[in-house]
Amino acid sequence: MKMNQTINKSTRFRVLSEDQIEQIFYSALEILERTGGNVYHEGALELFKNSNAVVRGNNVRIPTTMVEEALNFYPRKITLKGRNGKRSLHLQKDTVTFGTGSDLPFTYDRETGERRRTVYNDIRNAGRLVDALSHYDFFMSHGIVGDAPNPQTYDRHQFMAMLEGCTKPMVLTSVDGEGLEDLWRMGCLIQGGEEEFRLNPLFVAYIEPISPLKNDRTAVEKMLFAAEKNIPAMYTPCPSSGATAPATIAGMLVQSLAETLLAIVMCHLKSPGMPLIMGGVTTLLDMRMSTYSYGAPELSLASAANTDISKWLNLLMFSTGGCTDAKILDEQAAAEQMMNLFYSYLSGANLIHDVGYIDHGTNASLESLVLNQEMMGMVKQFGKGINTDDDHLALGLIEKQGPGGEYVTTDHTFDHWKEWYMPELQDRSDYETWKKNGSKSMSDRINEKTQDLLDNYQTEPIDDKLKEELHKIVEDADKRHS
Amino acid sequence: MSNRTNYTIQESPHFEILSENQKERIFNGMMRTLQYTGANVHHEGARELFKKAGCKIDGIRVYFPPEVILQALSTVPPVTEIFPWDGDESKKITVEKKRSYFGPGPTPPNFIDTETLERRPYLRKDATIVARVCDALPNMGYVQSLGSISDVTNGLADVYEFADMVRNTTTPIMSWSFTREGCRDIHRMAIAMAGGEEEFRQRPNYIFYGEPISPLVSDFHAIDKAMYCAEHRIPQVYSPCAIGGGTVPASHAGQIVVALSESMVGVIAAQLINPGTCVIIGGVQSILDMRYSIYSYGAPELSLLSAALTEVVHYCGLPMYSTSGCTDTKKMDVQSAMEASLSINAAMMSGANFVHDNGYTESGLTGDIFQTVMDDEIIAMARIVENGVEVSDETMAVDQINNVGPGGHYLYEDHTMKWFRAHWMPTLMDRNSYENWEAQGRKTMKDRILEKTRDLISNYEGPRDKVPEKADREIERILQEAEERIKKEQPKKQD
Repeated sequence: MKMNQTINKSTRFRVLSEDQIEQIFYSALEILERTGGNVYHEGALELFKNSNAVVRGNNVRIPTTMVEEALNFYPRKITLKGRNGKRSLHLQKDTVTFGTGSDLPFTYDRETGERRRTVYNDIRNAGRLVDALSHYDFFMSHGIVGDAPNPQTYDRHQFMAMLEGCTKPMVLTSVDGEGLEDLWRMGCLIQGGEEEFRLNPLFVAYIEPISPLKNDRTAVEKMLFAAEKNIPAMYTPCPSSGATAPATIAGMLVQSLAETLLAIVMCHLKSPGMPLIMGGVTTLLDMRMSTYSYGAPELSLASAANTDISKWLNLLMFSTGGCTDAKILDEQAAAEQMMNLFYSYLSGANLIHDVGYIDHGTNASLESLVLNQEMMGMVKQFGKGINTDDDHLALGLIEKQGPGGEYVTTDHTFDHWKEWYMPELQDRSDYETWKKNGSKSMSDRINEKTQDLLDNYQTEPIDDKLKEELHKIVEDADKRHS
Repeated sequence: MSNRTNYTIQESPHFEILSENQKERIFNGMMRTLQYTGANVHHEGARELFKKAGCKIDGIRVYFPPEVILQALSTVPPVTEIFPWDGDESKKITVEKKRSYFGPGPTPPNFIDTETLERRPYLRKDATIVARVCDALPNMGYVQSLGSISDVTNGLADVYEFADMVRNTTTPIMSWSFTREGCRDIHRMAIAMAGGEEEFRQRPNYIFYGEPISPLVSDFHAIDKAMYCAEHRIPQVYSPCAIGGGTVPASHAGQIVVALSESMVGVIAAQLINPGTCVIIGGVQSILDMRYSIYSYGAPELSLLSAALTEVVHYCGLPMYSTSGCTDTKKMDVQSAMEASLSINAAMMSGANFVHDNGYTESGLTGDIFQTVMDDEIIAMARIVENGVEVSDETMAVDQINNVGPGGHYLYEDHTMKWFRAHWMPTLMDRNSYENWEAQGRKTMKDRILEKTRDLISNYEGPRDKVPEKADREIERILQEAEERIKKEQPKKQD
């Protein structure tokens, strides 16, 4: 052993220096004092009025001290437990987890090759794949239940579809405060009551402000409910640089941080210490196409920078990766998804969502979920870094084998080649073997694997009695809104 | 922010695999290996050179004491420049730590025919295609041929390749050759393009590529060519294709030690002959897939090994020859895209100097210019991340955010008009809405790549007409002389 040895056990990556992060933080504070944000919720405005914030109509401006104080109260660790009983989702600094995105209106139909409306069963199937594929740590619905009886209660049906398909922890969207309350009640049933849910939350509530600096009634309603019940929640700005945020990445980060900090103060006023997660889909508007880009390299860069900011603030981060603008699962999809997976992983974001998105976040694709499984595996392998202990340096072996020697037959190789990544879908055969096996492309293999999982994978079913109770909550909601 | 002090910025992202201690360990592993294990050098002249410098020689084995290695490392240049022959400054290469240039790779036997898309032997005409297309691609910083010409006189593929490529691209070429004679022919052509020997010395216009054999062997021609390059101060690569679990240890650290050690033999030889000459080391670093006995060009280990070796090579003060944009697929597809995307982004973050093999498919056995064109787009994307986030009063836009206010939009702001131009505009990545994409014929990435590549092949002007007549004639003369040389050499070659 030697003294003073510092070893990188993983890759290290950061985009911003601490000084740069400070500048962005100061600018966000400046926005909150000078510009403020608009809040369209009476209860929240009341909270602000009773504090040192300055309220004029719907506009709320917040002094820096309030932000600094509130920031001290958020947890640095949140652990979620799936309905499979495993406390498997550990959100803590530089610990990365991957999951899908949510609410895609369309689905790439595997039979016709066309896109069509997403339905209940698509979400169940996406859940089954996420349950089966090892690199997915959490599940968002992927699609939106387009065949729910009532758009006002689709979220409860969606949760049911998700629960049927998947036993892992989840991130849930909801219609409004009432919707979130139902989802939470369902979650409490599964986890064994309100108290157990508090220590073993099943899901994180996904909530978003409207950039720039607007907080609508339903979003605030959900935030305040989450704060009251200690439900983990993320407040995720989705600014599009050039349209709803400045065209510069730094400007977009300043604005979305200001949006986040406003929520941080608001939730703190409601109930100090709720498990709040910082978030953001920070990307740009393609000015020629007027589309919000999920494949732009700027998404990777801005998201990684945003994660740097979150770590500096001691907040957990909900980031973005594994997504693309490509309309079908082609080379573009693979190149873009791999790139943003790579940087989101290196950055150390805690929850990386939207894995599998195609078509600018409008189209769901089960094949894409399967492709990303392989890519997440590769990225994680890269992130392992290099072991430089004596055994791995292998100087004795190098001397023994000598110039012109070989390593194939050594015990050392036999011991260590298992450390390598073992691809499942990537082809590494020689040309003749590949030809003999039907000249299959990656797409062919993805398709086969997807079909195989859909045909054969069985998710652990929900207990009948529990299922009945869950259904009751959904039915009651439907009745209320009929 | 103008009066802020103690202000350090991350102008580009910080990326690191190895800590200082880890780099030190690997460096020391190399020192120890060269001292006690040594390397085989199949070249009497080279062994003489090493002996004179203080190395212990035992048969073909050379043992390098630390002072010889450290002496060599003390004379490697921190910066070297390579110039395009037409003087275009935008294509100048500056070889220095953490500055990256991407390019194709050398010598696969096969090529994907640009018309039929079939895999077939690499032909002379392909060298021109590769040169022209790479000349047009904005992210190919240097050029290699993606093949080994099969339809010229046996033994002259190297010379014909350079002759055709140098006249079809101004982007600096990385050439290779079979022997010292090939080196000489190529060098004479490069001098013709530079306009004279002295001009070449002032403004070298190509890089030479040579490789030792893992583990720890320098064969006669490899070290002979390296010595020729050093004598003529030609910037050169001396780097192996190390096969983890095959020709080097299966553990990454051990692989890096061996790869570094065998390259160092070339560095030492070159610095002894001509101190200050530029030697680039590194090479293809990947693993042997034990199930298929394939040297994998798509494995994540390739990216990891290459990035880690880059850090050690830079730690030694040397430039790095790295690898990306390559794949194990037989045809460009989703797999080749994801493998290329990982290796390109990793190489970019590592800051390797020359990143080769963009356009390699079938585990390095087939060159595919379509893959190169796709890689070019991915490199452009990785550059955006390399450029980092600019944080300033102007970019943080506090005043603009205040002016727009809650619920507003930025579409017509002057600030937006000015800065959206900095957004990266794809040439192959589609960002249409689904409806527009459908209306335009549901094209896939592959369709767009084929279109773009074939358009470049047919319509790109290229620098062929700019080649000075004198140089053109000289190149033809050198080719003729090479044919005569090979006729004389041929009987020798048989034994």
